[in-house]
Amino acid sequence: MPPTLSVQNLSIEYAARRGKVRAIRNVSFDVARGDALALIGESGSGKTTLGLGVVQLLPSTAKITQGNALYHRDNKTIDALTLKGKALREFRWKECAMVFQSALNSLNPVLRIADQFGDTARAHNYLQGRALKERAEHLLTLVRLDPERVWKSFPHELSGGMRQRVLIALGLLLEPQLLILDEPTTALDILTQRNIMDVLKELRGKLDFSLIFISHDLSLAAELADRVATVYAGKIVEFADVTTTFKTPAHPYTIGLINAVPTLQGAKEDLTSIPGSPPDLIELPSGCKFHPRCPRADARCKRDEPELEEIASGHRVACWNWRTT
Amino acid sequence: MAVTSQTQPQTFSLLARIERITSNYVLRRIVKAMFTIWVVVTITFFVVRAMPGNAVDILIQDLTAQGFSADEALNQAASLMGIDLNQPAHEQYLDYLANVVRGDFGKSYRSRGLNVADMIAQVLPWTLFSVGLSLAITFIIGIALGALIAYARDTWFDHLISNIAATLDAVSPYLIGLLAILLLGVTWKIIPFSEMRGALSPGIQPEFSLEFFADAFSHVKVLLLVYVLASVGSWILIMKSNTIATLGEDYVTAARARGLSDFRILTAYVGRNATLPLFTRLAISIGFAVGGSLLLERLFAYRGVGFLLADSLGNRDYPVMQGVFLVITFAVVFSNLIADFLYGWLDPRIRIAGGGN
Amino acid sequence: MNALRDGIGGFARETIKTFKLLARNKMGLFGFVMTLVIVLLSFVGPIIWQPETSANVADINQGPSEKHFLGTDFQGQDNLRKVINGGKDIVITAFLTGIIATLLAVTVGAFSAFVGGRVDSALMELVNIWMTIPKFPLLAVIATVIKLNDPVTLSLLMAFLDWPGLSRQVRAQVLSLKKRDYIEAATMLDLGTRQIIFREILPNMMSFIAVSTIFTMTFAIYQQTGLVFLGIVPYSGANWGVMISAAERRGVLYTAAASWSIIAPIGAIVLFQLALISFARSLEEVFNPRLRTSV
Repeated sequence: MPPTLSVQNLSIEYAARRGKVRAIRNVSFDVARGDALALIGESGSGKTTLGLGVVQLLPSTAKITQGNALYHRDNKTIDALTLKGKALREFRWKECAMVFQSALNSLNPVLRIADQFGDTARAHNYLQGRALKERAEHLLTLVRLDPERVWKSFPHELSGGMRQRVLIALGLLLEPQLLILDEPTTALDILTQRNIMDVLKELRGKLDFSLIFISHDLSLAAELADRVATVYAGKIVEFADVTTTFKTPAHPYTIGLINAVPTLQGAKEDLTSIPGSPPDLIELPSGCKFHPRCPRADARCKRDEPELEEIASGHRVACWNWRTT
Repeated sequence: MAVTSQTQPQTFSLLARIERITSNYVLRRIVKAMFTIWVVVTITFFVVRAMPGNAVDILIQDLTAQGFSADEALNQAASLMGIDLNQPAHEQYLDYLANVVRGDFGKSYRSRGLNVADMIAQVLPWTLFSVGLSLAITFIIGIALGALIAYARDTWFDHLISNIAATLDAVSPYLIGLLAILLLGVTWKIIPFSEMRGALSPGIQPEFSLEFFADAFSHVKVLLLVYVLASVGSWILIMKSNTIATLGEDYVTAARARGLSDFRILTAYVGRNATLPLFTRLAISIGFAVGGSLLLERLFAYRGVGFLLADSLGNRDYPVMQGVFLVITFAVVFSNLIADFLYGWLDPRIRIAGGGN
Repeated sequence: MNALRDGIGGFARETIKTFKLLARNKMGLFGFVMTLVIVLLSFVGPIIWQPETSANVADINQGPSEKHFLGTDFQGQDNLRKVINGGKDIVITAFLTGIIATLLAVTVGAFSAFVGGRVDSALMELVNIWMTIPKFPLLAVIATVIKLNDPVTLSLLMAFLDWPGLSRQVRAQVLSLKKRDYIEAATMLDLGTRQIIFREILPNMMSFIAVSTIFTMTFAIYQQTGLVFLGIVPYSGANWGVMISAAERRGVLYTAAASWSIIAPIGAIVLFQLALISFARSLEEVFNPRLRTSV
């Protein structure tokens, strides 16, 4: 069976005063049915752009310069990047729902939660009235909210964690095949974060959908994802299933990210952060974009940029020196 | 908790009650409106009676100059203003307050014997009609054009409308009025301004007939145009910047991600949120329009409260002046109250903050 | 003293930055240059082109010609010359009102924001009430009681009526600036309130305050000429407002031949207001990137 989403050779640029921001450079990946893929990287690495690109919600200064995003359902394949007008509107949310990073601000402050569910349902000729309410109550219960209380509320009457859960429930309303969650737990306190993660894990067990999970936090990815793609400077530099990523990471950047995650047992001294800062996406370094921060960089890394190569079954990495890491 | 309520139950419940009152949005607005009116009435008393060289003193001087004896002048002034001038100042103030509450603003000094309240009642409807109608037109045009150019940002249309709006906003209303008369009446000779004096042509009576409405409209149309031109600029510019700000909000992008129709996003998501802050501006706008009516009604010889006030200012007819000013302020405060209620009704955040949920 | 010097330094830095940005903005440049021209012409002009003292019966109510660029009035006097001689009072009153109102507004607004609590809410409630009172009618009523012959008294009165709007904005700005990280850092470093105000907060608010001052100035022009038009402020001198109202009283609006004697002063006021506002709007654009056109 073809994958639910297959992104191929995608490149996205932003026009800025200084020049072109090359946010996504020739990225390809697949998300299989029911699969959960985590996109991991520091902020500014282009993860969010990738998600916005798939649903065509990039700001007007951005341009998709090449590539496609093939979406598959019921023996039909479409390129999500060529959709326009009505077809695009129907694709959004019904096929692919993207929940944004800014949960606190993603709901219209002047409409009740009920109305925002209603709006969404009406736009897609989905259930109405009584049936809609029952479906929504079911979903709200799934995300551990009290439907009675939430349904008639305005967004400002709910806490940040509650709003995030409302958005997740809203994301699942139309039974989409693909859910994109962009940093769903940032800006939330640690307990709320925990709660959301539990809800998400539970949902994955109960419902059938594919998931793209965008985060800078490797530990969260480890809990939720089946596979992990590490993104650096607008490119995927390592791709593997979640166990491989943590047990035998091959790219120095992935290793750096793992070492930067605090563990319960680990001593504080073991924590190391990656030296340097993310690259300037307008004037990218030559060769491997990670070489200025890489402990193993040599002359070749400065000269040529490595492409992803398969080093084990399902484990691909873009590094000249992966053998020595 | 139990200890507190035992030791001072009285003060506690009283405070709680006051708290509840002050936290009630509607009640708080009403109290504020009444307080505003009291402040204005007091200021007016100060100007009319208590300030050195106040209105009453000037009135008495005027009367003495006309040949009245000092005593007669004092009595005359007192009867016109409706206050006993021999009483101490604070008694006069209380009398004055009582008069205002009863709607008694004294008698006109120039048009002898005419009741100020009656004079105002006669002209007030015309001002309410012209200012209210122009405000509604301005609001609609301003919101529509402002939102439109925000969507069409950086096109030639946006530049054109924005520049016109900025220009209109810069120029004083009565100058726009003068230019309108010069252009429409003198240069192009489209409108015979000399026949348009007053709110109605001679012989036309207020009644429910086509003739009456047509005549009333033909007298008010240029004034309406000038009111709209004078204030639409700032509405357009504010609505434009509000809309641009709202378009950048996450909930608008999120609504697009949910596949909502453009129309639904424009109305319920962008439009409603961009329009909300405008309601707080209505206050300033109403005051501004009323201030403008003072000059514009005088310019167009339109017999509304502005005209009456301009007339009384020129004649130093203090009882009329004071009455009209108070009525104008009451009208503005009352319109503000309505705008506040509208805002509270439209914005759930306000409703909750004050509603005591 | 140090804090004050730093404040001036910060102010100068901000001003230079502003002018650099403004030079790129056509509207702003027009507004700034035109304001400068009007101010100069109003102060220096009367020395070169002194007012005419006698009537000129041969040239009554003429349109523009080579001899009279803006035509002549009912006494046959040159309109352009009258306009040049009639600007000083208007300009002085506008600037004075703008400055006094701004000082009042900044003081009250900043004070309210810094003190906070009950004083703050009481002050702001008062400001809100003050804002609902229709200013121009009140000014007109007061003007019938107080003699407003000189620009200073008039400016003081107008400033006293017009400051509240700005003070509310200043308060909001100070509150939002107070929350920013660097102010918090400065507070923690214990730099002292004066230094925080002069060095951190005021320079950040300069542009915004300048914009409000300019808006107050145009409103002052409106009110001042409006009072003359109503015949409340006595005709002292020959300012633009007096020219308009004299022409209007002579029925110029209904005789085409004489219309230039009212167009001239209207044009002068409109030009002054437009110049001020385009300057202010471009200041706004420069400092509010959201409004800035094209990235």
